Parts: sequence; structure tokens; C-alpha cells
Amino acid sequence: MSKGYLCFVLHAHLPYVRHPEHEDFLEEKWLYEAITETYIPLIQVFDRLLSDNVNFRLTITLSPPLISMLTDPLLQERYVRHLAKLIELAEKEEGRTYGSPFHETALMYKARFQQAMYVFCDQYGRNLINAFKKFQDCGRLEVITCASTHGYLPLMMIHPEAVNAQIKAAVDLHTRHLGRPPHGIWLPECAYAPGVDDILKRNGLKFFFTDTHGILYASHRPRFGILAPIYCPSGVAAFGRDMESSKQVWSSQEGYPGDYEYREFYRDIGYDLDLEYIKPYIHPDGIRIHTGLKYYKITGKVDLSQKEPYNQWRAEEKAAQHAGNFMFNRQHQILHLSSMMDRPPIIVAPYDAELFGHWWFEGPTWLEYLIRKIACDQDIIEMVTPSDYLQRFSCNQVAVPCSSSWGNKGYHEVWLSGANDWIYRHLHMASGLMIALANSRRGARGVLRRALNQAARELMLAQSSDWAFIMSTGTMVEYAVRRTKTHINNFLGLHDQIQGNRIDEGWLKDLECRNNIFPEIEYSWYQTSAPEAKAV
Amino acid sequence: MYVFFLIILLILAAAAGIFLWPARRSGTPKFKALPRPFFETESAGELGISVPVSTRSAPITPEIQLPRSYGVDRLVLMARDPHWLYAYWEITATKQEDFTAGFGPEAWISTHPVLRVYDVTGVDFNGKNANKYFDFHIDEHIDNWHIEVGEPDRSFCVDVGRMFPDGRFVTLLRSNIVTTPRGSLSDRLDEEWMWIEGLYRSIGRVQYGTSSPLIIEELALRKGEIPLGITSPGHWNPQANEANGDGS
Repeated sequence: MSKGYLCFVLHAHLPYVRHPEHEDFLEEKWLYEAITETYIPLIQVFDRLLSDNVNFRLTITLSPPLISMLTDPLLQERYVRHLAKLIELAEKEEGRTYGSPFHETALMYKARFQQAMYVFCDQYGRNLINAFKKFQDCGRLEVITCASTHGYLPLMMIHPEAVNAQIKAAVDLHTRHLGRPPHGIWLPECAYAPGVDDILKRNGLKFFFTDTHGILYASHRPRFGILAPIYCPSGVAAFGRDMESSKQVWSSQEGYPGDYEYREFYRDIGYDLDLEYIKPYIHPDGIRIHTGLKYYKITGKVDLSQKEPYNQWRAEEKAAQHAGNFMFNRQHQILHLSSMMDRPPIIVAPYDAELFGHWWFEGPTWLEYLIRKIACDQDIIEMVTPSDYLQRFSCNQVAVPCSSSWGNKGYHEVWLSGANDWIYRHLHMASGLMIALANSRRGARGVLRRALNQAARELMLAQSSDWAFIMSTGTMVEYAVRRTKTHINNFLGLHDQIQGNRIDEGWLKDLECRNNIFPEIEYSWYQTSAPEAKAV
Repeated sequence: MYVFFLIILLILAAAAGIFLWPARRSGTPKFKALPRPFFETESAGELGISVPVSTRSAPITPEIQLPRSYGVDRLVLMARDPHWLYAYWEITATKQEDFTAGFGPEAWISTHPVLRVYDVTGVDFNGKNANKYFDFHIDEHIDNWHIEVGEPDRSFCVDVGRMFPDGRFVTLLRSNIVTTPRGSLSDRLDEEWMWIEGLYRSIGRVQYGTSSPLIIEELALRKGEIPLGITSPGHWNPQANEANGDGS
């Protein structure tokens, strides 16, 4: 009999970066890198566990933009081409590194890329959502959703209809691709404000997560702190993030990923090798980029030039050790806590999925060791998903979580600062106009309907929290600003044309092709239904 | 008529000058900077995905200018954290005219803009019954403000208005009401539940932001580069790796 629960959550999300207008769009590479380094390795981990009949329960968010990109034929085709080039490069590298201490690592990459091709094309027919659905259907993964374009909900609550549309579009897309509606949601950036839960409830969602203080500072004060979920007055459950387990993985100082045996991210042959040699594998304009082939380990606090060769076996050993350490700490934590509670504590450990594999190369291996150890070596911890927990403990304390996020300083400043505050006057105006359109054009057909639906798409794409986040970090700002302005501008153009009864069908068609997220979107999702909803 | 032609000619000459000037100066014009044609035939044809050609080409490179104003009077207030609010507003010309009509043609110039922040916690606010208020005297043409209120878990409303030299305040716009988030444990203890103090003591001090956004910021600071999912790891930062060694 277990003494407590571990709820491990992976949040997989990328902003919608599909650019049909250009064959080599740098930002599209975010997706390809994440597929090769994170999504496929995780799928391989789950498949191995499945075939070894290891029991596990994990929660994973597949954000709607990610689902949309992973199921898009153009991006699938481009990924296969991208991967074929990587295999070609790895084959060249096999020869180039022959006899050097890097040879074994080169062979590792070649094997990994070839396996990735097999997993992507042969095993799952180019659609990785099939894999996640499989793990869901055999009871290993609880797949949950996220807001439609990862909109930052607390700062959208000026227009509850706009939040509602983000949730509706997400649940709709999720249900289409995963065959069942999601029970829960990962709120973008873990950002909650009172009132969001009412909208979740309206859309059939039963739980969400907040950062630690979202629960700790709830009112009334929760009896079990973050060790048990609370119910919002709406009846939607809120689970709080555990700080201790997060720190072990996240902290760039004390966290596992900084260990000296692990692979160094910043030594990539895309930057290191001769331009002539590497040119076919970087951007055609000669812009050096990460290829994913990296031969060095972190080594220690030394200059990048002083890094030592990577050894995959020693790194794997470290991952196993760290998995053991993580488990030991959770056991200790649970034993300590369970003595104070009348029910088993739940430890919620959420992470960005892209940390595993892409940033922390050995992350998927670590996760596999962790799951195997939990399943075989002990009986203090049991892995559960939020739905499992709520089935067992349906009676929970009622309290209102505190408005919060998992960003720096814990509230909304990262997404509302001097660097990005200008976007809200436009986003809010567009939301208000969209709601007015939806209210005044009920039952539209034909071109008008298409224009209204496209306006909704453009608005949602402009609302991605990713853009505000990039602006606040101060690098790559140009792309984020351009995306925000482009989608708002497209929205305003469509709005004018709809209002003026002069829809430019050619332009509309162009937008539908370029910004084709949510093919089944319904502009009526923006209609005002509840009496309390009020546009400012 | 001649004047008209002359103007056209002048415009053409100016345009030609603008386009030719960089070419003359640099000798080798950079074609890279030109907007690329959409949908390079290779991908579209190969995939069999029909990509219609736009009737109105919308190049992606030119800078997009969003409207400075929308012709709508509005004042929107948001709660940023337990201590700060953010407000933005737009005052239309009509609003300004209404003010002038009510207070005389000189009124706009003889007054200055003020942001009045009301604490309306627990109050059904009607403009006069705030718990307290404080004013920010701001410059003309400012249309947004980060407001330090320093009070968690309190409700606020903001007016933008004009203040006469004698201190008289006239409201132009009133915002929505927001509540700052809590910054500490709630002192409201549920009557039906018992409070176990030990539990909280074991959790220790709350630490914010040990999470992906934070690690991303840290890494960005370290390397001037942001991780995947947020931005392309390969795009930025070409100079950081001029380090020696070539992997073999």
C-alpha cells in the first residue's frame, strides 16, 4: 500500500510556427528539433515501458498549437526532409570522427536519427499524436489540453468570452484528435485568476494546476496546503505545484541537468565546424544554427573551448543515479508528510516537456529510470494522474486559489511589463470587436462565415503568451512583435471588410491557407452567453 | 493641369531616387533583402497541397503599423501582482470636446491630466464612497501607466480626468474594478476544517518561479539565448560559439 502519490506532469507546447510562405523558416526548426530531441525520445521511452509491461501513470499536456502542427501534412513532409538531412550529416560525421574520441557519440547520433525516422514514419505514420493516443488508450497517459493558442488567461479576463473561446477551441481540437474530451487543462504559464475556473467548468474541464502559492495563498486557507487539491467554488479542482521536486530538476544551479557528465548544449557542430563542410545543414543563407550534433559534456565551470568529450554511458549512469536520488527524496518527503495528514499526500511535479531531451539531453533516460524504479523498487510512492486522485478522493476542501503564475516573481509581471504592455490595448480591442461580430452576425453562411472564422483564428494567434514572453526576455523580440502585429492587423483587416460588406475573397483564402490552425473553429464561440460577461 | 503633371513627375523622380540611391552607393544591391516570392513551387507542387495565390500580395517583411487609437473611449485596468496595477486608456476627441463644451474653451489647457486610484475594497463603488484614493499627476499624451499600490488583496478602480488649478477634479473615464492578488497566506480559516500548522512549517519559505520561464530567463542571461519552445535555439547567438575546437 503506497503512502503517497506522485503526479508527474509534462507540458508539451510550442507556439504555432508554420510558415508555408518560406521553405526554410528558422522558427519552424523549433518544431523539428523538439520532435527529434523530445517528443520521439519520450515516445520511445513509453513504448519500451509498455513492451516491458512496466506500470506507470503520467499526465501530459498536448497544447492545441502543437497538435495542429504535428498533424499538419506540410510540416510532416518538411520534418521528414529535415530528418533525412540530419541522417546524411550523421553519416558524414561517422567518417569524419573516425579514430577520435567523438566517434562513438557520432554513431549514437546516427542511430538515434535513424530510429527517429522509423518511429516517425513507419511506426506512427508521420502523426505522433497517434502515439500519445495509443498510450492514453492503454491507460498509461492522461492527456490533457491547454488554452487554444496558449493565451495568457488572467490578462484576457476583461473579456470572459475571449477566454471561453480559447477553452472551447482547445477542447474541440483535443477531442477530435484524441478521441475523447480532456478531463483537465494546463493553464498557459500556470496562470490563474479567479473566474477562469467558471469558464473551465462550462467546458467540462474538471481540474487545472497552479503554482505553489496559487494554492498556499488560497482563501480560505487550505488545510493540506499543496498536498491535496482544493475545489474552487465552481467545483473545478486545483492542484498546486510542489516546489522541492521542481527545484531538483529546474534549478540551473542545483538541478540535475547541470551535472558535468551531461551533454553540453552550447557546443554544436552547426557553430563549431568549417562553414564549407556544415553549409548544407544550416540555414541556406549561411546562418549558423544548432544541428543537434553535440560532442561535449558540461565538464564543469569552464570556458566553452575547454569542454571535454561526451561519454553517453557515463551520462546514462548519472541519469540512473539522479533518478534514484529523485525517488529517494520523494519517498522521504511523502513519509514525512503522510504522518501529518489523514490521507496520502499528492506531490505535483510539472515540467515543460521540451526540457527533457532538448535542453536536458538525458532527461528522457532519467524519466525512464525513474518510472522503472518507482514501479519495481519500492512501494511508498504511487504514480497517479489528477483524474485518478479525484476518483479516489472526491471530497476536497473548497477555497479560491490566488491569482498567480509560474513566471518570475510568481504573478503576471513577465507578461505585463514595460516590454510588452503595449499589446494589450490591441488584443483587448480585437477581442471586443470579435465578440461584437459574433453577437451581431449569428448564423452567418458562405464567405461571411469564413471571414468571421478566420478573424477568430487571427485573434487567437495574436493572443499566444509566447509572444509576450519573448518580448520580455529581450532576445528574438522582432519575430514575436511581428507575429503579434501581423495577426492583429489581419484581424482588423477582416473586421473592416466584414463591417463594410466587402470581403476580399482572395486575401481571405490566402490567410486561411497560411494561418490554418483550427479548421473546425466556430466564430460563435465568441458569443456572449452568460449575463455577467461584459465587454469593456 | 500642368501643376498636376509636375507633381507626378516630382514624385516619380523622388521614388526613382529612393530606389536607386542604395544601389548607387553600395554597388552591389543586396537582393537578399527583397521580399521572397510566396510558396516556392517546389514545396507546393511536391506535396499536392493546393496553395492559392493571393490576389493581394501581403509581404511579410514591411513593418506593420497598428492603429495608435481606435476612436473608442476606454480605460482598462489590470492587476499585475500584489503591489502593482497597469492601466491604459484612450480619450477621443469627442470626449475632449464634451469637456470643453462643459467647462469652457480654455478648460483643457488650464487643467492637467490626473490618474485617480480609488481603493474600493468591499464597497459598491459609486464614485464617492471609496475607502480612500490617491492621485498621480501625469503628463499630457501619456496613455498608460504602471501604478504602484503596494496593497495585496485589495480592490481598485481608476479614473482618468482633468484637474483645475484649484484642485477640482473632473472624471473623463472610469475603469473596471480589479483586485490585487494575495501575497501571503490567507487569514480566513475555514470553520469546518482544522488548521495544521506543522504542514505549512515543513513547506518552508515560498519561493517563486523555479519553473521553466525562470530557467529560460536564467539561461538567456547566461548565454544571450533562449531555449526551445520560446525561441529558436539556433537562430540567435552566432558569436557565442566562436570557441575553438571543431568536434574532432
